[in-house]
Amino acid sequence: MKARQLIKLVFINIYHNKFRSLLTTLGVIVGTATIFLVVAIGAGGEAQVNQQYSKLNVGTIMVTSATRGKVKDPLTKKDAERFTESAHVASAFPVVNGSGTMKYGNYGNKGSFFGIVPEYQEANHLSVQIGRLLEDDDESKHNRFAVLGSDFANTYTDGNPDEIVGKSIEINSRTFEVVGLLNRVGDSGSFMSYDDSVFLPMSVAEKYLLGNRSNPNITVVAKDLNSVSSAIEDIKSILDETHRLGGSDQFRIVDAGSRLASAQSTAKTMSMLLLSVAVVVLIVSGIGIMNVMFVTVKERTKEIGTLKAIGATRSEILSQFLGEAVVISFVGGILGSIIGYGMVPVLSYFELAALPTLNGLMLGLLFSVVTGVFFGFYPAWKAADLNPIEALRYE
Amino acid sequence: MFSLENKKRIIDAHNIIKEYQTGTELLRVLDDVTITVMENEFTAILGPSGSGKSTLMNVLGCLDRPTSGTYFLDGVDVLQANEKQLAHMRNQKIGFVFQKFNLLPRLTAIQNVMLPLLYRGIDEADAFERAKEKLVLLGLENRLKHRPNELSGGQQQRVAIARAIVGDPPLLLADEPTGNLDSKSSLDAIKIFQDLHHQGNTILVITHDRDVAEKLQKVVFIRDGRLYEN
Ligand SMILES: Nc1ncnc2c1ncn2[C@@H]1O[C@H](COP(=O)(O)OP(=O)(O)OP(=O)(O)O)[C@@H](O)[C@H]1O
Ligand SMILES: [Mg+2]
Repeated sequence: MKARQLIKLVFINIYHNKFRSLLTTLGVIVGTATIFLVVAIGAGGEAQVNQQYSKLNVGTIMVTSATRGKVKDPLTKKDAERFTESAHVASAFPVVNGSGTMKYGNYGNKGSFFGIVPEYQEANHLSVQIGRLLEDDDESKHNRFAVLGSDFANTYTDGNPDEIVGKSIEINSRTFEVVGLLNRVGDSGSFMSYDDSVFLPMSVAEKYLLGNRSNPNITVVAKDLNSVSSAIEDIKSILDETHRLGGSDQFRIVDAGSRLASAQSTAKTMSMLLLSVAVVVLIVSGIGIMNVMFVTVKERTKEIGTLKAIGATRSEILSQFLGEAVVISFVGGILGSIIGYGMVPVLSYFELAALPTLNGLMLGLLFSVVTGVFFGFYPAWKAADLNPIEALRYE
Repeated sequence: MFSLENKKRIIDAHNIIKEYQTGTELLRVLDDVTITVMENEFTAILGPSGSGKSTLMNVLGCLDRPTSGTYFLDGVDVLQANEKQLAHMRNQKIGFVFQKFNLLPRLTAIQNVMLPLLYRGIDEADAFERAKEKLVLLGLENRLKHRPNELSGGQQQRVAIARAIVGDPPLLLADEPTGNLDSKSSLDAIKIFQDLHHQGNTILVITHDRDVAEKLQKVVFIRDGRLYEN
C-alpha cells in the first residue's frame, strides 16, 4: 500500500474516534504545553539574568560591610588604595552613598545619591544620553555637579527629562548643577538602582552631604577574569591585616562573575526540574496511549483478520496502528504547543519571564512523536502479529 | 472445442492433513484431503457442521498451514511461501467472500472495494475506477458512498463480492456466503456467482445448504475431515 493511502486510512480511523482520540491525547497536550513553557521560561529567565548582569563587568568585585547600618570598623578610602597593591587588582575605588530629600522645581521626594570617582562610571558601563559624565576635574575641584539616572530625571521632570540638564537640583537643601543624563541601565542586579539615583563627585558628596560619616564601599576591578579569585584572596588578607578588630569576616566580598554564574545555574536547575516534570507527564500520557491502543486493537481484531485475508502484510498492519498512535500524540503535541504559546502572556502577567523559542517547539513536538512511537509500538506489533484465522473468528 | 487438458489447475492440493492439539487429544480435522479445481470450475463443498469445511477453506485460502500435504495454487507452491509471500498470494490470487461480509465499518462501500487494489500498490484514482466498475456491475451504482451500516444484508454481501473480484484473482473462495442472507438475497447471491462463473471465474463455495449446492456444477462432500466426490 502506498504511504498516502495508509495515512488516509489512519486519519479515517482516528476521525471516526475523534472524541476518544482527543481524550487519549490530553496528557500529551499537557506534557507538550509544559515542555514548551518550561523551555520558554528557561530562555526567558536566562535572558533576564544575562540582561541584568550585562551591565556588570564580570571582573568587578564589590567589597561592602556584611551588616547593614552602623559599622564599628568600617571600610575606608585607604583600603581601596591598599587593594591596588595586589598584583591581581587593576584598580580599586571607593563609593559612598546616602539618601536625602531631593527637589527640582516644585517636585520633591526622598531619594538616594552616590558619591563616586570617575572610574566608577566606566566600571559600571554608565553612559550619558545628554551632557557628560563626571570627570577627574570635578572631583579635584569639588565641582557641585550631578549626573542623573534616567528614571530619576523622568520622575522629577514629569516626563521631560531633557530639560533638566543644565538646571539645578537640591539635595538636602544644597544645590547641584545637572551636567549629564544617563542612559537607562535597567535592573543592574546589584543592591543599587542606578536609574533612580543621583551621582555626585565623591569629594562633593562628602563635603556637602555626608561629612565624615561616610562609610565607603569599595569596587575593585581585577586584572582579568582569571585573576578574580586570587584578587579576592588578596583582598581578604589585606582586610585581615588592616581591620584586626573583626578581620575580613565583617565584610562581604562578591564578584560579579560568580554571581552571574550562580544565577544562570539556578535558572538552569529550575528548567531541568520542570522539564523532568514534563517528561513524567508525557510518560504517563504515553501509557494512556498504549492502553487505548490495546483496546483499539482488541476492538478491531476481526477487521485485522479481514485486512490480512485481503492481503495486508504484517508491516502494513503495524504501520497503520503505529501511525494512529503517532498521529494522535503528534496532534496532541501541536495542540499542546499552541496552548503553551497562548500561556506565555498569562505567565508574563504573573511576572514570569517567558520567551517562546523554536527549540521549545521542536523539543515538545519531538517528545510527542517519540511518545507515540514508543508507546504505540507494542500494541501495533500485537495487531500485526495476530493470527489471521483467530482474528477472523474473533467476535 | 476445449478439453480438460489445456485448462489450468487452479487448486492442486494433495494429502492435506490438519491436526489440532487440544489438551492431551490430537484432533484430526482434515484427514488426507486431496482436491483439484480446474480453471473456470464452480465447485461446492458440502458438509455438516464441524466437518472441517472452514478449516479446508482456510488452508486453500493461504490463511492457515496444514500439518502436512502439498498445495499448489495457480502453479505456486503455497507451503514453501513465507508470511509476506502468503499475504501477497491472498491479495493477488484469491478473492474471499465471508459469511458475515466482513466489511470495514468506517469505510464506504467503494473504499472497501478499493482496499485490495490499494494493498497491491495501485494508485487511488485507478483503484477508484476499477472498484466503481465492479460495484456498478453488481447494481450498487447508487450506494458507492454508503457505509456498511447503511446497507441491507444483501447489498453488503454484494459489496463484499465486488471486493473479492475487484483484483480479478484466479480463485474466488466463499465460506457460506448465503449463511446470513434471507432466501431472496441468497438466490440473488447464487445468481451473481453463476454469472461470475460464466464470465470465466473459478469459484469454490462452501455450504451446508443442499439447495445451494444443487445449483452448482460440481459438488464435493466432506464428513469428519474426509472428502468424497459425489
Ligand atoms: N483452533 C482450533 N483448535 C482446535 N480445534 C479446532 C480449531 N479450529 C477448528 N477446530 C475444530 O475443527 C473442526 C472443524 O471445524 P470447522 O470450522 O472447519 O467446521 P465447519 O465444517 O466449518 O463447521 P460449520 O459448518 O459449523 O462452520 C471442529 O470440530 C472444530 O472444533
Ligand atoms: Mg465453517
